[in-house]
Amino acid sequence: MTWAAFTSEWTKLRRPTLLWSTFLGLAAAASLFVILVFSQATAHGGIVTLHQLAQPNGLVIGVARAAMLLGVVAFGIAASQVASEYSLGALRQLLVRQPRRAVLLAGKMLGVVTFLLAALCFAAVVALIAAVAAAHSRGVPTAAWFTGTGLGDLFRELGDLALAVIGYSVLGMALGQFVRSAVAAVIIGFAWLLAVENIITRIVPSIQQWLPGQSVLAVASGGGEGVGYAHGLILGAVYLLAAITAAMTVFLRSDITA
Amino acid sequence: MVMDQAVYRPHEGAAGPLAVTTTGLTKRFGDRVVVDDVALAIPAGSVCGFVGPNGAGKTTTIRMLLGLVRPTAGSGTILGGSLTEPATYLHKVGALIEAPAFYPQLSGRENLEVLARLGRLPRTAVDPVLERSGLLARAGDRYRSYSLGMKQRLGIAAAMLAGPELLILDEPTNGLDPAGIVEMRSLIRSFAGDGITVLVSSHLISEIEQICDYVVMIRAGRLVHQGSVDILRATQQAEFVIAPEHDGDRDLLAGLLGQAGCTVAPGDGAGVLVVQESGLGAAGLNRLAAQNGITLRQLAERTRSLERAFFALTGTESADVPDGQEMGAIR
Repeated sequence: MTWAAFTSEWTKLRRPTLLWSTFLGLAAAASLFVILVFSQATAHGGIVTLHQLAQPNGLVIGVARAAMLLGVVAFGIAASQVASEYSLGALRQLLVRQPRRAVLLAGKMLGVVTFLLAALCFAAVVALIAAVAAAHSRGVPTAAWFTGTGLGDLFRELGDLALAVIGYSVLGMALGQFVRSAVAAVIIGFAWLLAVENIITRIVPSIQQWLPGQSVLAVASGGGEGVGYAHGLILGAVYLLAAITAAMTVFLRSDITA
Repeated sequence: MVMDQAVYRPHEGAAGPLAVTTTGLTKRFGDRVVVDDVALAIPAGSVCGFVGPNGAGKTTTIRMLLGLVRPTAGSGTILGGSLTEPATYLHKVGALIEAPAFYPQLSGRENLEVLARLGRLPRTAVDPVLERSGLLARAGDRYRSYSLGMKQRLGIAAAMLAGPELLILDEPTNGLDPAGIVEMRSLIRSFAGDGITVLVSSHLISEIEQICDYVVMIRAGRLVHQGSVDILRATQQAEFVIAPEHDGDRDLLAGLLGQAGCTVAPGDGAGVLVVQESGLGAAGLNRLAAQNGITLRQLAERTRSLERAFFALTGTESADVPDGQEMGAIR
């Protein structure tokens, strides 16, 4: 039954406008960071040096820096996919065909998450092509990128990004379920992730490691200064479980009046 | 004449198997009672009109039948399944709830495919319902390019997708032009020909009268009447519009009619009276006037309509819910 809800969700997600805007949007965001990193790199000092870019993990440095932007885009798309069911009124049609609400929501979440993971894979391929081209233009040797170590770093980083995208997507869908308005969900989510968490962290730095956005970001970037990777992974998983439980509870108990 | 509880017959005309039954169905939103102790008994195979003014609680009742809104109290069965377990019966139910709601960027066909996949129905189920609703030629166009009538027809197609035994249509003619309304009526009648039980709600009683053989009347959340349309019409007293040739004879005529046991009220226009007669008939009224030297310039029997029956049952002349009984955003 969840499979039916999943394939039904994909029928909506694969519409050309949404599919291409998501896939190209994420690819553009990832490529932008790659090109910026390579264009701003210098022989000595700066954000990153040309020598660092020539290391086995040089291929993924740019993509890793795009994690926050990729996450925010995934969050917004996931939130709007859930909330728009309420604003369009389509949810009542869906629930007549699938009255088991847990099945419907599980299938929808699975559909949206796999859609965004597919978009991430596409963005990664485009960004890596952009990285090779940028390396060539800056004279950065790329031989180390394609060694066993380099490919290991690449897949580890892509795995972390995938986990982060899952985290941002689920948090976005949970917020969309509570707010029931695509615009409000995106505004609240973006404000929280981009502004509120940063302000809180500046005022009370010790809270940083307990914030949901910072936890997921730590996973995406393989651990940061304020939040360790393992801590981010565990806390992120706790936040995700809490978000899924809360969204499911609200959905199961609410009257559908939209 | 206000309906007396003593003569109230909730299941009049509902012999045979029932497609929908409820007992004590109630829904409260906070302090507001939107649906109050409603006991439905809708015969299988009927085209049942669900009528009441805006804000009467029709849509909330329908949403409870479809499992979208949880009843505060009460129980019921739909096609033999319990109201508390919608999954046991909704695979046999099709519904159009208020305005059709689809994805604007998908085509009509893709919108139905979303629902077909969700309901584990074959994709081959889509085109026949598009054809029946007259949309096959435009099935590939985006939903947002559809006219209101086409959107409504797509809603009907979606409701028919699962081959339902019960079709619930909430205000299906809302926003349609006269030609669209005629088409919709014809479509609804055709469902009855297929043996499908149809529950169609409307705040336009005259519309229901044209397509339904059974009627449920609701007002301010309470059931007013349910039963066969023909029986309801037959129970109405005949009513005549009558006017003397000379306006000055109106009071004399009203007095004579009163003495003959008729209920008389002023009508629209000079000298016009509305008469609920007590067995005289048109000929008797004419004879009574002539015997007293009054010539009638008008004598016409009013059609026995459901609308008049509704007003008689509720004791009102207004289709609106009284002040203080508004149902808010949910109807």
